[in-house]
Amino acid sequence: MLKIFRDLLRFNLEFAIGTLIVSIIVGLSVLSFFSPYPPEDIYVVAPDVPPSWEYWLGTTSRGQDVFWQMTAALRNTLLFGIAVAAISRVISLTIGLVSGYMGGMTDRVLMSINDTFIIIPLFPILVLFYFVMRDSMSWALLALIMAALGWAYDARLIRSVAMSLRTREFTSQCIFSGMSPRQIMTREHLPYVLPIVFSTTLNNMNWSIGMEVTLSVLGFTDINTPTIGSMLYWANQHTALVAGVWWWIAWPVIAVMLLFIGLYLLATALNEYIDPRSRLSRMGGAT
Amino acid sequence: MPVLGTSVLGKPILRKIACAAVALLLGTAAYVPSAAEAQDVISSLPRKETLILENPEGTIKNAGWFNIWAINAGGQYTGLQQLAMDTLWYIDPEKGLEGPIDNSLAAEAPKYNADFTEMTVKLRSGIFWSDGVEFTADDVAYTVETQMKNTGMRWGPILSLNVDSVSAPDPQTVVFKLKRPNSRFHALFTVRFNAIWIMPKHVFEKAPDPMRFDFNKPVSLGAYALHSFDPEGKWFIWQRRDDWQRTTLGRFGEPGPKYAVYVDGGPPDKRVIAQMNHNMDVVHDVAPEGMFTLAKQSKSSRGWFKDFPYAHPDPTLPALLFNLQRADFQSKDVRWALALLIDIKAVSMASYRGAATISAIGIPPTGTHPDDYHIPMQDWLKNFELDTGKQKIKPYDPTVGKQIADMLRPSMKEQIPTDQAAIDKSFGMGWWKPNPQAAQELLQKAGFTKRGSNWYTPEGKPFSIRVMVEGESRPVITRAGTMIAQQWRQFGIDAKTELAQGTMLDRRNSGDFDTLISWSVESYGGHPDLAYFLDSWHSQYVAPAGKPQAPRNYMRWSSPELDGIIEKIRGVGFDDPRSIELGRDYVKLAVREMPTIPLMAYNVFVAMDDTYWTGYPTAEDPYANPVPNWGNSRYMMVRLKPRGE
Amino acid sequence: MKTYAIYLAKRLLQFVLVVFIGINLTYVISHATPIDPVEQTISALTSFGNTSPEAIETMRESLRELYGMSGTPLEQYVSFWSRIVVGDFGPSLSAFPTPVSELILRALPWTIGLLVVATVLAWLLGNLLGGLAGYYRKNRLLKAMGLIAMGLHPMPYYVVAFVLLVVFGFLWPVLPISGGSGIGVGRGFSFDFISSVLLHSLLPALSLVVVGLGGWFLGMRALVSNIVTEDYVVYAELGGVDRRRILTSYVMRNALVPQVTGLAMSLGAIFTGAIITEEVFGYPGIGSLLVDAVHAGDYSLVLGITSVSIVAVSLAVLVIDLLYPLLDPRVQVE
Repeated sequence: MLKIFRDLLRFNLEFAIGTLIVSIIVGLSVLSFFSPYPPEDIYVVAPDVPPSWEYWLGTTSRGQDVFWQMTAALRNTLLFGIAVAAISRVISLTIGLVSGYMGGMTDRVLMSINDTFIIIPLFPILVLFYFVMRDSMSWALLALIMAALGWAYDARLIRSVAMSLRTREFTSQCIFSGMSPRQIMTREHLPYVLPIVFSTTLNNMNWSIGMEVTLSVLGFTDINTPTIGSMLYWANQHTALVAGVWWWIAWPVIAVMLLFIGLYLLATALNEYIDPRSRLSRMGGAT
Repeated sequence: MPVLGTSVLGKPILRKIACAAVALLLGTAAYVPSAAEAQDVISSLPRKETLILENPEGTIKNAGWFNIWAINAGGQYTGLQQLAMDTLWYIDPEKGLEGPIDNSLAAEAPKYNADFTEMTVKLRSGIFWSDGVEFTADDVAYTVETQMKNTGMRWGPILSLNVDSVSAPDPQTVVFKLKRPNSRFHALFTVRFNAIWIMPKHVFEKAPDPMRFDFNKPVSLGAYALHSFDPEGKWFIWQRRDDWQRTTLGRFGEPGPKYAVYVDGGPPDKRVIAQMNHNMDVVHDVAPEGMFTLAKQSKSSRGWFKDFPYAHPDPTLPALLFNLQRADFQSKDVRWALALLIDIKAVSMASYRGAATISAIGIPPTGTHPDDYHIPMQDWLKNFELDTGKQKIKPYDPTVGKQIADMLRPSMKEQIPTDQAAIDKSFGMGWWKPNPQAAQELLQKAGFTKRGSNWYTPEGKPFSIRVMVEGESRPVITRAGTMIAQQWRQFGIDAKTELAQGTMLDRRNSGDFDTLISWSVESYGGHPDLAYFLDSWHSQYVAPAGKPQAPRNYMRWSSPELDGIIEKIRGVGFDDPRSIELGRDYVKLAVREMPTIPLMAYNVFVAMDDTYWTGYPTAEDPYANPVPNWGNSRYMMVRLKPRGE
Repeated sequence: MKTYAIYLAKRLLQFVLVVFIGINLTYVISHATPIDPVEQTISALTSFGNTSPEAIETMRESLRELYGMSGTPLEQYVSFWSRIVVGDFGPSLSAFPTPVSELILRALPWTIGLLVVATVLAWLLGNLLGGLAGYYRKNRLLKAMGLIAMGLHPMPYYVVAFVLLVVFGFLWPVLPISGGSGIGVGRGFSFDFISSVLLHSLLPALSLVVVGLGGWFLGMRALVSNIVTEDYVVYAELGGVDRRRILTSYVMRNALVPQVTGLAMSLGAIFTGAIITEEVFGYPGIGSLLVDAVHAGDYSLVLGITSVSIVAVSLAVLVIDLLYPLLDPRVQVE
């Protein structure tokens, strides 16, 4: 595992850059635990101070230090992405493996439902959920709902891998040796689909974080919890843009853009790694 | 791009696509310079004759609907209520053109009989609808009768509750026979924000169903008539009538703007941008920061006050409303404890950045109210005593307004007045002094306990309070709630804000909240009468928990003592000085009981740009309310003059 | 032909399933909302005016009857489906008594116009450039575009739209940032109106294209660079077939097949993007209408819009699916 990581770092520039960006972001979010102020509190420092030696990234009109606020926001945003990805992996793995292995009617029914979730525009449904749940719409519940809606695309990918595994010889051997379908799926097939699970995890995080930012900016989430989205929400509330408090908007936007790019680069690099043809062409020094 | 097209693309079709793409990009680029005026909004009207105002309703879903008497069907503040509607009287929260009360369609004040069961109104003659038909008493009678027949119409229920019959003995006289004595019946036809608008009988009687009639194009009784509107509901253009003399506004001279355009302003920063580019003459409201930016960067923009605090104080009182039907807030000791945990200076800074007019008592500190209530009651407030169970304290601090002014002076310099009277007017007088010790004693008196750093209810559950706020549409209120929740949290109460957004009104009425920042007090501003809101606080209207509460007693306060005061007010006339005395009794009762924690006046950051127009109503010349969705903002039109004249 | 018929039947079935599940989901969620439209209406009505508590009670009764909110949930559900089949969503609660369908029909052309133009543009340009980038791997310009695409593709629609708004509306204010056409511009087939509409759609469309383009570009580039190593391409090159012909007939055509499927799969996501973009730029389409409706607690309008969106998106997917065999004659049904 470590060796693969080292190889990737050495031969794959995208992976290296992605790792660098994501480590910086993770580093920042870990810093949040050392924040001198509770992240929810307002008017703890002088408001509207531009970036300076004292406040590296400036302060907000709510009297918060942008730097410390951002570390907490990045932490929550990142955790949110991970939570959604983790839960939705369970669903997409189950559906993908079962569908791919069983085939036939099970496959058809599952994939019909799967495709339904791919096709339905999810945003209106999420907004609706918010209005039903309102104040009980906590961070965790939102993650759960997003996960329940955002598994379908990856389930399809996993299914395609599982389908190709089904026709492989070792699967037949397993069946002859009397393993149950569940054992075959979890013990034999799961390891083969893990690489693709990794890369879809990263893309899924991008998706859910993007959604979270969008929902928060519209005020459709719990605005008490600092996230990148709720930071922008409060900045808009204070018309930070026209009031000249640009640092309140610029830093979180830059940070979240970097995060997106970082995660995306990692996902692409992993995809390439999974597909040996492009890996060979890269290592072979094409261009 | 061109390199690519010549070097690698050989296939004609691909080349064509590439060329098209390049052409498109170049075309766009070429179009952009000419689009420098793209943000200069109106191309079809002469800008110098046009006044552009913000319609705070935003986009009207059902733009082609002008029947304002049907409920929630179309837009109301699209200029319709301000420029095309009219009714018997107007009352201004400020001084008014010729006094706060203007006899509009009525020629004089209403005449009641001795027991307030009959009201007679004399009407003006020579007033015409925009289609040339003369306005008469028949229109008034028709308005009343039609809505009484259709209780689903906007004022149907209240009219049928009050009116027994209405008649028009001659074209200039209307007689209302009332079902029960009501000394304030005329208030229904008196515009504060709005009132019962008069319907054109000759138009509506041709419609088969007055509730399903769209009234498009509207026949106007005001000085303006509809010119055109956006089917997507983003703008409405009104044109001055050629026969403007034949409207009630004609008495004050010719309205300045030939065209008045009400537009959807979008989110606050878009509104600020629009005014900086001189594309929006009157902005309804922006966040304080937006107002400060305009004051700093746009020489032509100003607010109600020339300097800080800029905003126009509406006669509306944002307060922290308790849900008095929830167990935790039953005891007045708890409510007082929570009040003593609020540092109003911090709330004022957080919400309005200091530009708030605070009030310790349940009456808006605006218009003539300070003279009738706040100032005469200072001594009583100073001497007011509170028993915490362990000690007696005098919680009132009369210098809070001054403290806020002093706090702001270093950064705002000479913008902050030094004269005590001016400070009282801009920042308010006193408020409750934060007193965590007394709060602790009061909570303990009510059976609450503190374990570790957290408070627990008498039942042993963590004391948790949700502070409901509206969110984006009312940024200032949202911030006040956030600050208050933080102050409670720092004391060990599990307090959090909750964003209600569009569900706010619904949840407020259904009692689905712990506490919320809203207003249950609205008054005339220019007249001391309190029945406008207070009558609805009678316990006869309080709904049981779980049932919807009628406005405005959203905290569901029921008090026999208050009922007594209300019943006494019902028995005295509108202009009777005794009603002021009774009003003060209400204030004292509310201070003792603390059913709501009054905070401040609802200050609206109206921003007015004098690039094209001058003569807006301001604190120096307070002839009308400038807030452009109020019905009485129409008086602004006759004073506005094009710049350079 | 028979296989095509089976294929057709399957697609139609899928279409019906999507619509059924989607609309039921919406119905269930929206009827669980705590927003009571009658209370909402009454509150809006009384928040400024002078209305006595007794009058409100009378009003409440009248409105319940008017809005058709009576009946058991089952009755409401049955009548809902019987109406939806004929496209009747009842009157809008927040713009009573205007039918929901009328409001939707007014907003739909804006959204469809914006969406179709932006999607087609992004898809064509992205695939074209991506294909070239995959085939001519050494071209510097195309490599640079690849980098830009990598940076833009993972951005959520909101961030891109917001950045464009800041740049062109505030820092360099040359483009209109709200509305669908200028104030006072009359409707009709006039130069003024059309140019105003085009100008106003520029920023919303640009944000949709910017996000979409990168995805198609990267996808196509990856596909083409894989196909290039296929034997038949290598043989064609060895056989001296013109390189442009290899690119267009051998490589691009095959690579487009999965991209068409991709388009069908991502229409839902693109639609989501359009909603957000409309909201940012105050564009008078179905997205702004939806957010408005949710804020106003307008059940019937929310249901109508969500249903129409689900039907419209799955219909578009169906059309793409039906055209698919024309592009890829290999479509065989198991």
